[in-house]
Amino acid sequence: MKTAIRADVFQDLKGVGCPMNLVKTKVAFAKMESGQILGLILDNGPPINNVPRSVIREGHEILSQEQLADGTWSVLIRKA
Amino acid sequence: MIDFTEEQLERYSRHILLDDVGVAGQEKLLQAKVIIVGAGGLGSPAALYLAAAGVGTIGIVDSDVVEVSNLQRQIAHFSADIGAAKVESAAAKMQAINPDVEVRTYREYLCAANIRKILAGYDFVIDGTDNFPTKFLVNDACVFLNIPFSHGGILRFNGQTMTVVPGQTACYRCSFRSPPPPDAVPSCAQAGVLGAVAGMLGTIQAAEALKHITGAGELLTNTLLTFDARTMAFRRIRLKKQESCPLCGPHPVITELADVERTVCTVQ
Amino acid sequence: MQITVNGETEELQEPAVNLSRLLELRRVESPEMVAVQLNGEFVDMTNYPTTFLQAGDDVDFLYFMGGGSS
Ligand SMILES: [Zn+2]
Repeated sequence: MKTAIRADVFQDLKGVGCPMNLVKTKVAFAKMESGQILGLILDNGPPINNVPRSVIREGHEILSQEQLADGTWSVLIRKA
Repeated sequence: MIDFTEEQLERYSRHILLDDVGVAGQEKLLQAKVIIVGAGGLGSPAALYLAAAGVGTIGIVDSDVVEVSNLQRQIAHFSADIGAAKVESAAAKMQAINPDVEVRTYREYLCAANIRKILAGYDFVIDGTDNFPTKFLVNDACVFLNIPFSHGGILRFNGQTMTVVPGQTACYRCSFRSPPPPDAVPSCAQAGVLGAVAGMLGTIQAAEALKHITGAGELLTNTLLTFDARTMAFRRIRLKKQESCPLCGPHPVITELADVERTVCTVQ
Repeated sequence: MQITVNGETEELQEPAVNLSRLLELRRVESPEMVAVQLNGEFVDMTNYPTTFLQAGDDVDFLYFMGGGSS
């Protein structure tokens, strides 16, 4: 069913390391309404290990998290 | 919402990452106006940290010039600045740290006649003055203008600070009433001070300004924080707004600003 | 009789100690540089001689600290 979810805002954070990937995620959320969905592309390794965890801690909801063919991750988050 | 540049996102990333500051808090900082009274031991670290934090408008008031004896603790001033106006010396360092910041310099000695005009319009005041008459004047003006401020004082190895939200929390006069008699006051030059103590205290004052602007945490109100750097013992003394306060109590006797003779630390 | 001075418990050995005497006992060199708070209330210097301490009183000496700029 994941194909049914569309991101309202999309950010490609490929090549963006920690913590700037989280900074940019927070800036994206600041411009969004509650309930809207943010789509992110995150690198494998520390980014995928850290960004979703921080986002959950701030109360947002991870809807899906899927590794792509190039090793990066596609993550969909609903803003709290 | 402000559109942060890539450079600003990097510059303020450690604030944006903080849940209690975040994007909204950094925006508030960039729009805030803080004034620092005294570009000396307390004002120097406060000025540098507020500039680094991206406080959009920072006023700085001081009539003195930099002297070699200042350099042991007044870290905004460098050896090459000796003879320069302290406000200009501090402003240059603040701009060098962060070009986002507008620095307004006031090369004046604060007195009853000019203080309202200088402080009006600022969101927060940092008292980094070196003498009691001016400390009381800053307190009184902030209460009359309803501007929150941080009181700070240092002596030898000791420091004290409290934050005042006028009308809501204890003011400096609630506890200290009036300047001590001049002959009882040890002059700064005679008493001495450990340089780093000035940095500890001025940095606490800067943190209070940042907290007030962003709304993060709880301000140091109704509390006098004191420390003794010899033992690094910190103590919080509970204060309260006093009914008997001559300024902010229900029956004030101080109803206008007045100068008290300047007596302390006039000799450098 | 036990009181608290600057956050620490202190046993008063003498009877009828007023604030003037307490400042002496605590060897406060210049009382003019101290504001006294008794149980959270400011006490005016002129009232020190007539303010006698009771068991359980909480006294704080708030030191005037002026330095900062020059
Ligand atoms: Zn008051």
